[in-house]
Amino acid sequence: MVAFVLFSIRRAWQGFWRNALMSLAATLTMVLMLTLLAGFFVLQNVLLASLTFVEQKVEVVAYVQNTATQDQVNALVAKVQAMPEVASVQFVSRDQALANFRQTLAAQGRPDLTTSLDQNPLYASVNVKLRDPSQLSAVVSAIGDQPIVRSVINIQALVDRVLTFTSVVRSAGIAILGIVGVIVLFIIVNTIRLAVVARAEEIEIMRLVGASDAFIRWPFVFEGALVGLLGAMITLGLLLLASQPLSQAMVSFFNVLPIELGSVGRDTTALVLGTGVGLGVLGAWVSVRTYLIR
Amino acid sequence: MTSPETASPSLFGRLAGRSRPVRTSHDVVVLHDVTKRYPNGRMALRDVDLVVPEGDFVFLVGPSGAGKSTLMRLLIRDELATQGHVVVDGDDLARLRRRAVPRVRRKIGVVFQDFKLLPRKTVWENVAFALEVTGTPRAKIRPAVDRVIALVGLTAQAAQIPTQLSGGEQQRTAIARALVHDPRIIIADEPTGNLDPVISWEIIQLLLRINELGVTILMATHDAEVVTALRKRVVALEEGRVIRDELGAAYHRED
Ligand SMILES: Nc1ncnc2c1ncn2[C@@H]1O[C@H](COP(=O)(O)OP(=O)(O)O)[C@@H](O)[C@H]1O
Ligand SMILES: [Mg+2]
Repeated sequence: MVAFVLFSIRRAWQGFWRNALMSLAATLTMVLMLTLLAGFFVLQNVLLASLTFVEQKVEVVAYVQNTATQDQVNALVAKVQAMPEVASVQFVSRDQALANFRQTLAAQGRPDLTTSLDQNPLYASVNVKLRDPSQLSAVVSAIGDQPIVRSVINIQALVDRVLTFTSVVRSAGIAILGIVGVIVLFIIVNTIRLAVVARAEEIEIMRLVGASDAFIRWPFVFEGALVGLLGAMITLGLLLLASQPLSQAMVSFFNVLPIELGSVGRDTTALVLGTGVGLGVLGAWVSVRTYLIR
Repeated sequence: MTSPETASPSLFGRLAGRSRPVRTSHDVVVLHDVTKRYPNGRMALRDVDLVVPEGDFVFLVGPSGAGKSTLMRLLIRDELATQGHVVVDGDDLARLRRRAVPRVRRKIGVVFQDFKLLPRKTVWENVAFALEVTGTPRAKIRPAVDRVIALVGLTAQAAQIPTQLSGGEQQRTAIARALVHDPRIIIADEPTGNLDPVISWEIIQLLLRINELGVTILMATHDAEVVTALRKRVVALEEGRVIRDELGAAYHRED
């Protein structure tokens, strides 16, 4: 058994180098296809991450009547907090609202005209973050019905648009990734098939001298795996080289969005390695099958 | 992984001059009522009956398209008979499990008109290849390859690659490869088809010597001169039928 595996690996290695041109062509095709696949995968993840970030920003802001007492406000906050759709609630007092406003003006370098006012024109507000932005209208109407609530900012239209966009990106992304995946599968399997067909004579001789199916199949399967592994490693190397300038560009492009991309690198590595080796093995397996004992 | 040869001592045993096996007569190839129809509807063999006792030398003659190659493909179970039985050394090929096919193929050495050598391997490597891909331990490969290469007279050319060899030497390499599994039968499909007459005779002489060592030989050929000169058994095919099966015969019917 060990001897058989060693034999297969040795033959795979010899086979790879004896048909170096064919193997290199297969590996390069593999690199191209895997880069394409990885590119789409990363792109989709970045888009989804930024959309998730936008979704998290969805907030219901309810302005509170100036006549409301602190008790009434506390009761409102507690009540809203208890709603299952709600992630967090924050009360912003009138003074705090004014301070925030002044800070924003100062940050934008605009003259602060509020100092000339004899009283604070802003309302206190209850700011509600949602667990699920699709529950916006339910939360808005529940809060709007409270007597001490003066008005609720309705950003339904905006949120709907973001949600539609997100779901389009999500399903279109999966569809495109699926299509790219099928193309990659087809091209890689066919390239490996070419490499196997180039050795048809050798396989025929193996059959004629009484080699068993395993002795015919496994060297090619290992060779397919080798092409896959090599292609995947080259692809990952290229991605690593490209990732630094790319993420720089990404940060300056989305500089307002501190996107969480921690797992994308790991997922991409797994995707590229798995697809490369998997398709190499699959391609060799199906290509060599036509030559086995009928 | 090689199967034990229970019935006969090895070719090398015989080569080494040990006593020839004493055995009751045994038919290594039996075709009974064999019909082969290819998937495209072509009838390549019809109602073929053929019995070849061990040690025979049989010429298979007939015009191109008569079904000679098809008959040989049936013997190595490259194709299955549409009807009838093909029995090789006691195994009915139609009932043979797939896993057992390689074992039967190792009992049959095949030689073709176009040699089928691997162009980038040396003579020695081409012969060793047959043992490597059937899982023979390395220690056994070297002596076995050296012996068959000596038998076909290529020891001096062992390190050359096929393009450095003459056609006759290439065919002798192929014969060495066919012998290296110590087969019961050699099937040669027009082995001299690409060779000039003098070289053809050398190849025939080699096959005769191998036959004398007890290996059954089945050779398809168009070479009337060789067939007629040797007076061996002649089986003539025409349009897939056996039209003649004679001992000590000529290429053409002599009535
Ligand atoms: N793989 C195949 N598929 C279909 N027909 C075939 C195939 N091989 C051979 N034949 C046909 O079977 C007949 C016998 O061919 P073959 O056995 O090669 O004859 P020979 O070797 O005597 O020249 C021919 O008519 C040939 O065209
Ligand atoms: Mg033929």
